[in-house]
Amino acid sequence: MEKHMAVCPYCGTGCKLNLLVEGGKVVGAEPLNGVTNEGELCLKGYFGYDFINDTKILTPRLRNPMLRRSRDAAFEAVSWDEAIQYAAKKLGEIKAKYGPDSIMTTGSSRGTGNETNYVMQKFTRAVLGTNNVDNCARVCHGPSVAGLQVTLGNGAMSNSIPEIENTKCVLVFGYNVADSHPVIAKRIIRAKERGAKIIVCDPRKIETARLADLWLPLNNGSNMALVNAFANILINEGLYDKEYVANHTEGFDEYRKIVEKYTPEYAEAITGLPADDIREAMRIYAAAPSATILWGMGVTQWGQGVDVVKGLSGLALLTGNLGRPNVGVGPVRGQNNVQGSCDMGVLPTEFPGYQKVTDPEIRDKFAKAWGVPSLPGEIGYRLTDVPHLAETGKLKAMYVMGEDPAQTEPDLTQVRKGFEAMEFVIVQDIFMTKTAMFADLILPATSWGEHEGVFSAADRSFQRFTKAVDAKGDVKHDWEIISLLATAMGYPMHYNNTKEIWDELRGLCPIFYGATYEKMEGLGAVPWPCRDLDSPGSKYLYEGNVFQRPGGKGLLFATEWRPPQDKLNDEFPLILCTVREVGHYSCRSMTGNCAALQTLADEPGYVTINPKDAKALGIRDQELVWVSSRRGKVISRASVTDRTNKGAVYMTYQWWIGACNELTIHAVDPIAKTPEYKYAAVRVEAIADQVWAENYVQQEYAKLKGGLSKAVTGAAKKAPAYA
Amino acid sequence: MNRFVTANPSKCIGCRTCEVACALAHSKGAGVEGLAPDSFKPRIRMVKTADVSTAVMCHHCEDAPCVNSCPNNAIVYRQHSVQVEQERCLGCKNCVLACPFGVMDVVTVPAVRQFAGMTLSLGVKAQAHKCDLCVDRESGPACVSVCPTSALTLMDRDAMDETLRRRRERAAQEAAEVAA
Ligand code: SF4
Ligand code: SF4
Ligand code: SF4
Repeated sequence: MEKHMAVCPYCGTGCKLNLLVEGGKVVGAEPLNGVTNEGELCLKGYFGYDFINDTKILTPRLRNPMLRRSRDAAFEAVSWDEAIQYAAKKLGEIKAKYGPDSIMTTGSSRGTGNETNYVMQKFTRAVLGTNNVDNCARVCHGPSVAGLQVTLGNGAMSNSIPEIENTKCVLVFGYNVADSHPVIAKRIIRAKERGAKIIVCDPRKIETARLADLWLPLNNGSNMALVNAFANILINEGLYDKEYVANHTEGFDEYRKIVEKYTPEYAEAITGLPADDIREAMRIYAAAPSATILWGMGVTQWGQGVDVVKGLSGLALLTGNLGRPNVGVGPVRGQNNVQGSCDMGVLPTEFPGYQKVTDPEIRDKFAKAWGVPSLPGEIGYRLTDVPHLAETGKLKAMYVMGEDPAQTEPDLTQVRKGFEAMEFVIVQDIFMTKTAMFADLILPATSWGEHEGVFSAADRSFQRFTKAVDAKGDVKHDWEIISLLATAMGYPMHYNNTKEIWDELRGLCPIFYGATYEKMEGLGAVPWPCRDLDSPGSKYLYEGNVFQRPGGKGLLFATEWRPPQDKLNDEFPLILCTVREVGHYSCRSMTGNCAALQTLADEPGYVTINPKDAKALGIRDQELVWVSSRRGKVISRASVTDRTNKGAVYMTYQWWIGACNELTIHAVDPIAKTPEYKYAAVRVEAIADQVWAENYVQQEYAKLKGGLSKAVTGAAKKAPAYA
Repeated sequence: MNRFVTANPSKCIGCRTCEVACALAHSKGAGVEGLAPDSFKPRIRMVKTADVSTAVMCHHCEDAPCVNSCPNNAIVYRQHSVQVEQERCLGCKNCVLACPFGVMDVVTVPAVRQFAGMTLSLGVKAQAHKCDLCVDRESGPACVSVCPTSALTLMDRDAMDETLRRRRERAAQEAAEVAA
């Protein structure tokens, strides 16, 4: 049996593991003693590898480039040569006719790795000539990046994952660590065993709430009010660190004025929390000699996500919990490489290494390195703008790599209309996805396990992963495909391996410069910033309390609470909040093809509901129900549980039949443009004929799987002789 | 003393990694691809109520109700554990009803016999189904080895003594504090 070192592709913890290979097939995974996982893996890490082997449980792997010359035609397998020429011609025509800004690309926060993302943004900027490149951080931690860049100067976790277990207080805010990052959950449990106090702010009784010293089940949509009340208590009870605030922050007077009104009693009315519990939380937090704030999608997937992120960083600034070990602010990244795609500049605002596209000197530097006369200086489009831009005719072509927006974006009806309105859609993926069904051209890539590269873990650590098996079929590495396309469009691009790409980008990004492949050999992890070849990298940021802002001080920021945008009424009386579950990942194209994970949970997925709400609606546990909003209607299975708060229901976003994003609202944060996935007004209805409903689910599921599989097998049959 | 696996509810996060590991450890080498919802029968189960998440499995009792209830002596004490001799199991379910923890089940598996190089089907065979402590697995209980939060531990005499010693110490400490 061979063993090949990899980094788990399922979350930002960045667990190191060995893939076990027998006869060219991955047959197992075993944990390694990596920096962040120390010999542990979770459910997905252990049992989430068989998708590589093309199990076809949910959807088949892509084996050939596939083209359809008109939208009503079936896909036909074509040669790489034809596929690339076709794409180059189409993109070239669209660029000539409508301008470079009529084209948009995406990076991928998943298994492709940093090098591919670097190449994709280079292609977008240098070859297409636009900053229209984005990644799914937009729909998850975009607000964390936007918020923290303003208040502290850096959008990432301030401290490393291993430090969590040495902190004396963990404030968990809108972050279901047990389901999102099980191996980080262990760090929190260990911190508690070592005497740390755990405070959890979440409307649901999530696992961490069960283990917490204090659980604050706030009303859905009241985050800002609670964070302001926290600041109010720290100031009014004199719990804040006056010296730290005086020396290392700015904006205190303005900040104080805004939070003044948010007394715990005032916040009680909005959050539904007893004023004394809110006080207690801040007394615990302020008393701890070191304290860490961790948050997730419960903070960011709101119309007011950026504000709340800024507010949370304010709590750390007020109490001096930054700039040293075992403290800090932690937006814990969900997808395995969403930190990486941001690091690599797959953002409409930034070049790799967080260098602004609006800065002419930076543009010159990149233009020179990439051998082009100039680079675009206008900020590009955001992923969440796509449906609207396509429908209004501003966006004509899209090149989607390793993402499935037709499953993961809000309000899917709009998303589909957007894709239909575009003249040319390329999807580059490893699986036939819902998005691929809208493509004109499908480019098949190698999967995690079939290529190597570097991922960025949630705590900024760069780690290398290697190739375990050879890819089957006529597929290529993502970065090779993009290079071929660039060359066909008149910009010769060629790399021999990922290291060449890595060395090029290191040279252009001062904060990554010292993170060489050699340092990341084996179990090596290099947290950026790492500016020098002899530096081990930075476990924590803001050493000496110097913030990466002009003047070096942290900014205290508060603003008024705004209520969520969707409105409850008699027709839609319940709040729908979308969440995730431990066994499945992202759009589920990977985990849905893993036998073990699919055994634990399958379509149509669950809508969890409080027993009181269920009873009032005549719904029993495990029955199929309809869930509808102003935007759509889907079938789901009721899971009646006391852990869900009354008045709200929760659905995980990876189901293809019970797709909760048919229901969610396209209401976005004004700055980060992240959608309000956490609040949609819905109605849940019992279905009288359960036998019919079960059959309906099976039929729909079979139809969907059949369609995806036919698209691939149909094309392969028509494959010409070369294939 | 019989050995057994214990779960610590203040560490369990309800992830079911243990369930999959258990099913795989008894898959006769079929690997993950052999798993399917209908045949998924782990001997450990994660239970989630309003306030508790934890795994439950056989306690390998010293005076085991299942052993006492079996009319055909199919359940025996062996290798410091409670084991089922499947050839003797009738599938009468007495043990299922006798077990106070709800961790004994009776399942049916296809029964086959090898004859002259051919596999003959003999219908189905009942099996009393519960944790066997992975006695045939070299590296010990599969569930214990995978739990990401180390919520599971294998208790043998030594581990038990250590736990008891710590508890007594704590009790003494607390008594002293009360007295002070
Ligand atoms: S999903 Fe996350 S926690 Fe689980 S093994 Fe993978 S990286 Fe580790
Ligand atoms: S693997 Fe551990 S944490 Fe997960 S359900 Fe089992 S006992 Fe609980
Ligand atoms: S010890 Fe083995 S048989 Fe028993 S529950 Fe754990 S994995 Fe299953």
